[in-house]
Amino acid sequence: MTAPVTAPPAPGGVALPRRRRRRATLARRRTRLGVLMVLPAVVMLGLFFLWPLTQTVRMSFYDWPMLGEHTWVGLENYADALTDSDFLAAVGFTLRYTLIATPLLFAVALVLALLVRGGTRAARAFQTIWFIPVVIGMAAASYLWMYLFQPDLGPASALGERAGLLDASQNYFATFTSALVIVLAMVTWKVVGLQMLLLSSGLQSIPVEVTEAARIDGAGRWQAFRHITLPLLRPTLALVLVFSVAGSLLAFDQFFIMTAGGPSNSTITAVFQTYRTSFIQFELGAGAAMSVLLMVVLAAVSALQMLLLRNTDNA
Amino acid sequence: MRRRVRRAAALAAAVVLGASACASGTGGGDDDTVTLWVRDYQKAIMGTLADEFNATHDTQVEVTLVPATSFVQKLGTAVAAYQGPDIASLDLVFAPYFASAGVLADVTDRVDALPYADDLSPAHLDQVTYEGRTYGVPFTGDVSVMFYNKTLFAEAGLDPEAPPATWAEVQRAAEAVAALGDGTNGFVFSGACGGCNIFSLTPLVWASGGDVLNADGTEALLDSDEVGGALQLYRDLYDAGTMPELVRTDAGPNAASAFQSGTVGMRFDGTAFMSTLVSDGSVDFGVAPIPGEDGGSASFAGGDVLSVMTGADNPDGAWEFLQWATDRDAQQVLADHAILPVRMDLLDEIYVPQDPRFAVFADALSVGHVPYSIVENELFNDNNGVWAGLVQDAVFGPGGVADAQAAAQEDAQAILDKAND
Repeated sequence: MTAPVTAPPAPGGVALPRRRRRRATLARRRTRLGVLMVLPAVVMLGLFFLWPLTQTVRMSFYDWPMLGEHTWVGLENYADALTDSDFLAAVGFTLRYTLIATPLLFAVALVLALLVRGGTRAARAFQTIWFIPVVIGMAAASYLWMYLFQPDLGPASALGERAGLLDASQNYFATFTSALVIVLAMVTWKVVGLQMLLLSSGLQSIPVEVTEAARIDGAGRWQAFRHITLPLLRPTLALVLVFSVAGSLLAFDQFFIMTAGGPSNSTITAVFQTYRTSFIQFELGAGAAMSVLLMVVLAAVSALQMLLLRNTDNA
Repeated sequence: MRRRVRRAAALAAAVVLGASACASGTGGGDDDTVTLWVRDYQKAIMGTLADEFNATHDTQVEVTLVPATSFVQKLGTAVAAYQGPDIASLDLVFAPYFASAGVLADVTDRVDALPYADDLSPAHLDQVTYEGRTYGVPFTGDVSVMFYNKTLFAEAGLDPEAPPATWAEVQRAAEAVAALGDGTNGFVFSGACGGCNIFSLTPLVWASGGDVLNADGTEALLDSDEVGGALQLYRDLYDAGTMPELVRTDAGPNAASAFQSGTVGMRFDGTAFMSTLVSDGSVDFGVAPIPGEDGGSASFAGGDVLSVMTGADNPDGAWEFLQWATDRDAQQVLADHAILPVRMDLLDEIYVPQDPRFAVFADALSVGHVPYSIVENELFNDNNGVWAGLVQDAVFGPGGVADAQAAAQEDAQAILDKAND
C-alpha cells in the first residue's frame, strides 16, 4: 500500500533541464494525489467486496458446515448444485420472473418518463409521487402489500370486491399466477420510479433541436421517437436494463415475505434457495457455490446486455 | 509531501485495523462479566432478570438481544469465529444441533449436583442431553394448548365449559361455530409455517400415541397412522369450510390475528398467546389441552434452555447465572411475568394460583414432548421444507393425505440418514 514516496535520483546523475524536471514532479504529484483520492474507495472495495468474494469462492470448494470442521471437496458443491432439482427449479423460476419483470418495468417506466417530460409543475409533482415508493425498503413494501391482499383482512381485496374485480375472501397467494401478479404489481410500484427518473434524465439530455429538425423534415411523432429519441437514449437504456435485470435475478425479499416461496415452493428464487442452503441447512460451502454460480450468470447476462447495446450503437 | 503520504498510509492502516478490531471485540471485558445472547422478543424479561442478578452478585451479566429470525445463524457464525457469548438462551429444539457440534459446555456434573435436579422440566432436559451428557439447563416454558372462544361456543349451542376432548368433538365444534355464518370460522392455523405446526399440530399425534420421529431422532415416522389421522382431521376441517382462506398461505401472524378478532372458534397456540389475549381483552376465551383422537392429551413443551458455550471466557461465572436462573427467585420473576417456569416442584406454588387457566399450561408441561433431532431446523422449521410441505400437500393438496405422507417420509428419512451417518 505504501508506494515509494520520493522519486529515485535520475540514473547516472544526468541533470535534466529544470523546466522539464519541474513538470515531471508536478505530474508525479498529481498522480500521487489521484492515488490518495481513490485510496479510501480502494480500501473499501477490498474490505467489503474483494475480501468477502474471495472468501466465498474459497468456501465453495469445501464441505463447510456452519459449525465444525471443513474439508476440501473440490468441485463437488458445484456438481451438487447443478444436479439439485430444487436449485435448478429456483434458477428456472428466477429466469422466468426476470423475463416478465424486465420488459414490464421498462415499459411502465418509459411511458411514465415520456409523460413527465414536459417539465410543468404537474409533471414534476407526478414524478415525485411515482418516486416516493423507491425510498421505502423492499421488506416494508412487501409486508404492506401482503397485508393489502390478505383474504378477509386486506383493504385492497375488499376494495377490489367493491369494484367487482376481486373476491375479498379468496386467497390470491394460494395460486402461482395470482401470487406472481401481486408480487409483480408490488415490485413495479416499488422500483419503477427510479427507472422513470433515469430515463427522464436521459430524455432531457437529448437536444430539442435534433427532434425539432426531424419534425421539420417531416418525421411523425412515432418516427421521431423511433429513429431519434430511442437511439440517443441508448446509454441510459443500457444502464436501466442492466440494473433492472440484476435486480430481478437477485430477487429475494419480495418472495421470502409475500409468498414465502409458495404455493408448493413454486416461487423460490435462486437467492432464496441459497439462503435456505446456507442458513437453514447450515451448509455454507454448498450455499457459497450457489452464490458463485449465480454471480457468474449475472456477470454473463450483464456483459451480454452491454455488448448488444453497444454493438447496435455502432451499427 | 512525504509526511502527507505517510499520514494517509497510517490512516488507511487505521481503517483496516479498526475494522478488524470491531470484528473481534465482542468477548466480555471484565473477568467478572459474562455475556448472554437472547432472542430480541425476550427483551423485557431478560432485562428484568439481568437487573436482579446483577444487583445481588459480583458477577455481572451483560445481555445482547439478537433478532429472533436470525438467532441461530448469528450464534452459529459467531461461535465459529470464536466471537460467541459465554451463555446462549436457546430455543430448546436447537440444543441437540449445537451440542452435536461441540460448542456447548458439558455441565452434567453441575446439573446433577443441583438439589432440584429431578424437578426440572423433563422435556427440556431431554433436549439438552446429547450422547448421555447434559449441555444446558431448562429456563423458560412455552407449551401448546387449545384456545377456544367461549362467546362463539355459547352462540353455537356448545357448552363453553366443556371444550372438545376428542378429534370428533373438535370437528363438531368447528362446524357448529362456522355454521353461525357472518364471517365466523371454526378453526384457524398457519398452513405455511413449519415451526408453528410442529408446535401446534404434533400434539394431536402424540396424544393419540404416535410420533413424528423415533426417540433418538434417527428414524422418521411421518407415514404413521397417527400423523395421517391428524392431517386428515385438518383436511376435513378445511374441506368442511370451517377455516378462513388465509390458513393456506399464512406463515405465522395472520392466523393469530384472526382468533384475536373474535371470529374464530378454536386455535392451538402457546403460553405467550394467552398474554396477548389477556392484554388485548376483547375475546372471552378458554384454555384446554390438545386432545388425542379418542381422548387423552399432549403438548409441545417448548421454551428456552440456557447453555454455557465451550469458548466462554468465564465458565464459572456463566454457571453461576445458570444456577440462579433455575432457582426460586428467578423462576418467580418468570411466573410474575406470566411466563411458564420450568421447575415442576414450584409450579403449583408460584404459577398456577395466578389464573385458573394456568393449570392447563402446568399440566401440559408435564406431558410435554419435543421431537429430538440435530437437523430440526431443516426437517421441521423450514417453511419450505419437508414438514411444511407435508402439511400443505396433505391438508390442501389435490392428492390424498397418504400420498403426501409417503413422499415426506422418504425425504425426511434421507435428511436424517445424511445427518446421522
